[in-house]
Amino acid sequence: MDSFNWERHRTTLNKIFFRDKDFIKEGTKEYDDFWLFFKKFQVYEARRKSKESHSASSSNLSSSLDIPMQYHPRYRINISIVTKDIDEKVHSHRHHKEKKKRKRKHQSYDDDFGCEDDELSSERISQFRSVILHYLDFCQKQDFVKLKKLKTEQANLPIAHYKDEIVKAIKENKVAIVAGDTGCGKSTQVPQYLIEAGFTHVACTQPRRIAAISLSKRVAYETLNQYGSEVAYQIRFEGTKTKATRILFLTEGLLLRQIQQDHTLKQYNVIILDEVHERHLQSDFLLGLLKILSSSSHRDDLRLVLMSATINLELFSEYFQGSPVIQVPGRLYPIQVQYLPIPVEEQTGKTSRLDPRPYVRILQRIDKKYPSSERGDLLVFLPGMQEITTVEGASQAYAEETGRWIILPLHSTLSIEEQDKVFDMAPEGVRKCILSTNIAETSVTVDGVRFVADSGRVKEMSYDAQYKMKKLQEFWISRASSEQRKGRAGRTGPGVCYRLYSEDDYDALADYSTPEIQRVPLDSLILQMKSMGISDVRSFSFIEPPPEGAMNDALRVLTEHGAIDSDENITALGEMLAQLPVDVAIGKMLIMGSLFDFIEPVMSVASVLSVQSPYTRSAYNNPEACTRRRPIESDHGDPITLLNLFDEWIQMKSDSRSSSRKWCKRRCLEEQRFYEMANVKRQFQDLLKDNALLAAIDDKDIPETSYKRRQRHADKKRLRELKNEERFQSRKRKVLKRTDGKYEIDNSDDDNDNADDHPSTSITSNVKDLEFKIRHDLDKLYKASSVRRNFTLRDIIMLKIILVSGLYPQLAFPDDCNNYSPDSDQIFHTKNKLFVVLHPNGYFSHHPQELEPTGREDNSLKKEGQSGHRGLLGHRHQLLTYVSLLETTKPYLVNTMRVPALQTLLLFAQSLDTNADCRRIVADGWIEINLVDPNAAQSIIASMLQLRNAWDQLLKLRLEATKNESHEGFTLVRKSKKLQHFLSKKLAEFLDSRLEYRLRRFTTLERQKLYVGPGVNDDDVVEGGFGISMTKAAPDAVKGGMKLADYLTYNCLQELEESSLSGDYLRQFWTCPVCQIKMPMTVGERLRHQAACGGSNAEETNQETAADSKTSTSIPQLQRSYHCDVCDEDFMFSAVEILKHKRTHKA
Amino acid sequence: MDPKKFKCSSCGLTADYNHFGQTPLKTAKKNIVLLEKAYTMRNPFKSNDGEFLVVGAHCSICGDVVCVDPDCSLFYSKRFCLNCASNNINEFPLPIQKEILHNCKSR
Ligand SMILES: [Zn+2]
Ligand SMILES: [Zn+2]
Repeated sequence: MDSFNWERHRTTLNKIFFRDKDFIKEGTKEYDDFWLFFKKFQVYEARRKSKESHSASSSNLSSSLDIPMQYHPRYRINISIVTKDIDEKVHSHRHHKEKKKRKRKHQSYDDDFGCEDDELSSERISQFRSVILHYLDFCQKQDFVKLKKLKTEQANLPIAHYKDEIVKAIKENKVAIVAGDTGCGKSTQVPQYLIEAGFTHVACTQPRRIAAISLSKRVAYETLNQYGSEVAYQIRFEGTKTKATRILFLTEGLLLRQIQQDHTLKQYNVIILDEVHERHLQSDFLLGLLKILSSSSHRDDLRLVLMSATINLELFSEYFQGSPVIQVPGRLYPIQVQYLPIPVEEQTGKTSRLDPRPYVRILQRIDKKYPSSERGDLLVFLPGMQEITTVEGASQAYAEETGRWIILPLHSTLSIEEQDKVFDMAPEGVRKCILSTNIAETSVTVDGVRFVADSGRVKEMSYDAQYKMKKLQEFWISRASSEQRKGRAGRTGPGVCYRLYSEDDYDALADYSTPEIQRVPLDSLILQMKSMGISDVRSFSFIEPPPEGAMNDALRVLTEHGAIDSDENITALGEMLAQLPVDVAIGKMLIMGSLFDFIEPVMSVASVLSVQSPYTRSAYNNPEACTRRRPIESDHGDPITLLNLFDEWIQMKSDSRSSSRKWCKRRCLEEQRFYEMANVKRQFQDLLKDNALLAAIDDKDIPETSYKRRQRHADKKRLRELKNEERFQSRKRKVLKRTDGKYEIDNSDDDNDNADDHPSTSITSNVKDLEFKIRHDLDKLYKASSVRRNFTLRDIIMLKIILVSGLYPQLAFPDDCNNYSPDSDQIFHTKNKLFVVLHPNGYFSHHPQELEPTGREDNSLKKEGQSGHRGLLGHRHQLLTYVSLLETTKPYLVNTMRVPALQTLLLFAQSLDTNADCRRIVADGWIEINLVDPNAAQSIIASMLQLRNAWDQLLKLRLEATKNESHEGFTLVRKSKKLQHFLSKKLAEFLDSRLEYRLRRFTTLERQKLYVGPGVNDDDVVEGGFGISMTKAAPDAVKGGMKLADYLTYNCLQELEESSLSGDYLRQFWTCPVCQIKMPMTVGERLRHQAACGGSNAEETNQETAADSKTSTSIPQLQRSYHCDVCDEDFMFSAVEILKHKRTHKA
Repeated sequence: MDPKKFKCSSCGLTADYNHFGQTPLKTAKKNIVLLEKAYTMRNPFKSNDGEFLVVGAHCSICGDVVCVDPDCSLFYSKRFCLNCASNNINEFPLPIQKEILHNCKSR
């Protein structure tokens, strides 16, 4: 191969060798690789030829093996290309050329095709063919090396020596424990061993979704994909499982859901619980459930395998007594530990920020001691994000000065692309310094780490049951996790671990971290247990039981929400809530939304509140992004703003001309979150449909157009191709490059709107886009989005009421001293937790003026100087509901929404207490409403009673209807439709109320002397006489006064001044605005009558439901049985009702 | 395409092969042939279905199954296991002789 110019003939060669049906296709990556190879090969060949001429030809002896003794490399290749059609091609090409040439000669053109030597002669063609063969051979060798490496690695894993022992133990015992430390290979190998041993349905749970996905990829790779979809994963929204699946990696939560469907888990014959030592809430619960299942006779064939690190093994072996334990040594290289306690002057106080100097010194120490030619990165464990930012700043300066370090933060709020940078390689002579939270302790494994620096601290979410508040607190880590952190330095070679604390500190560490069950709210767990039929949750045999107090707190919360009754039995509502994999509050929202056929936007809000915030870290300090987001924000607060963002994103998605990716980027939003929201919403939809809370949308009635079908099939095919591409691309690591003093990935796409040029990100985002389109019908999503919804203000208020119905009692009351200016903290108080502030990223901390109270000073009252009459008189008092309380540096209200105070409190308070004339109403013992006009006060309480009754009944009907699909169910649906209509109308009136009132919050002291006490004001129980309907009433045994409903106690409040005579003893003539009956009645009697009498529209409904459901709270006391001859039915009717009923027949 | 087990008699490597013969795979591109009867599998490192990987073949002298690892066998117009190759080292051209010696040493 001399100086012949092959490049000039590329087009011709393409036609001969690189056609579609050929092994290497033109335009593919392999094609490019081939040409690279081709160039190198030419150089190599030139060198070989010159050598060969030196050494002359070797001996000419013939071989007894019947092989050519004249050496030529081509004999070493066992592949050949069939030449027949190539010869034809060459021939026709030659012919074509000749013709052209002749023509050209005729026209006497300059021959720009060069002389004969440049011709693609048949000798040249065969030369070229032999290079292709060399290339093919080269590829084969390369891939075989990979195969061999894989097999050798598998065989060399520590666990490989225990293969037979493990398989035997599992075959012979119902439960077996495999304990092994990092790197022993248990998670990848044990499932493979079991399949080889003949088990056919192996489930392997993982605490983390990412692990489930990556393990299924890894195991599929190790089994060389020969099994196709036989190795799969399944997580909340996606999975690759098919009928052929034999090994399934799934999340713990998902297995729990499956147990809920099928208690005996018939679909598996082995269940592996991996990483049980991490002691997550769900894994502890699974342990308990599977322990029961494996000892029951229902599944004698089921095998249970627990896999854990070697820590705290006794606990597990004691829990599963008699089960064999196979201990596998880990494979760690020796790690040298150095204790470098932080000097006192650099230690962090309770309030001060972390001093980054000790961490920078680690970088210097490494630079001094280890030549930069020795590779090895540094992994620093810091307590939290804030500390990472601090150390990042300081070490960045050092990195720029020396040019020897790349500083990379790693925590869960980074975007996926940013997180991925830690997997890229540093250029020669430069080390990565990864500043991480404890995410790198177990969830994320970075290869190439040689040095670990451990702060010994961790920020962990704990839970304060008293305030229902999450707290992000800093703790000392446990010795177990200290060892885990150290181990990260010895995965690929000997390493060093610098502990930034003393050996004494180390010895004082707790053995193990606190298991999750000891430090999180248990509401959802207990509800799930109840719905599984575990009635006595307190005696469930957990590996380590949760604290009794936490259980009681959870039971109380569930009772408050109506999920369990006073006997701790699960209610119909509870059953429904247990089906929804979300917080009780969000689940309740969904159910309430379905009551009012207002489910679409409620599902969207529930979805946006169930995933991580879509705002990126720079979202709040990028003024351009803020400006762009402004039109989408809602002055109602964060939940509605998030809803708008989601709707807007869907609109971007459905408009083929706009790029949703770009849209997100410009507004500093993480697109991944929106995909998650869409998935969660889809899941809600399915769940609600399954539970008959959502009418099955008649998809099938609208035939898919053939165009759409073709499109969908094409999308699916393209998705498969892209996924394949992604699979092979994702393994490549990129090299980080220095730009503007910061290291970035080569061809990085940051701040570049045309990010789609980046091949790997574009494939991943295309995969997501296609997956989204296949899973969701964009048309439908779009129609459901707010753009098409045309929300009126009333709709928004209705939506808010539904959201509050779930979130209540998560309410905050504004402090009197707030100035409602964005420059300072606005202070709020919840019932139990005083002095909480708006989260700095929330809508209202940027727009506090929206919360400024309006109303007028009432001078007449001011003169009297009574404390109870402080505050403004108005009809627009607002409270804040919040989704969660979170304490970091301060206690914060997260995801807040403003709500009308009077209406919210009256509709949702667990307890409402009034004075004699009802002008004072106290909600849940901490907020007082002061109304001006007693008549108006009484009538709003009356409508509140009707509303709450109707709401309760509607809920009952709906829940009943979900169980009855038959004819009976149909009448229930009809009834609930009527009730719904009544309720919506009444609710609208109620919400429109412009009653003026004052609002104030009680001090703790005031709360203690609110009530008159038992035996006072409770002798008003009228047992009859007037022949009109009234709801039940009974003396309140605690507060005094009369209990008119579960949530309403009349006349139990201590009067603040003696002046007003308790009005309840005065019977005054009064005309019911509904039934027009006129009678002397006390205020209490009036309320009871109005609650029973109902609105004119509700009448019919109320009568029907009252007659049907004997337990209804609205059964009037003065009813008697009445047989109507016209409808031939028995009723419980009051005198008035009988008259009315008769009237309906006349009309 | 039920996978069958391939096992190298020299190094013990096992793999599930899909095809044995002079054509690499049923799904492979038609214009490729092998110059020996070999065990091939669907190439697990390539996304394309048609790609194959030759894992091993029979030694042309003793007939043992050997993988294509240079520590186990060599191909020079025919497949030889390293044992047979070293036993017949003088029957090979010089460059191959050198290689056999080198591979035997490294084993
Ligand atoms: Zn071998
Ligand atoms: Zn042999």
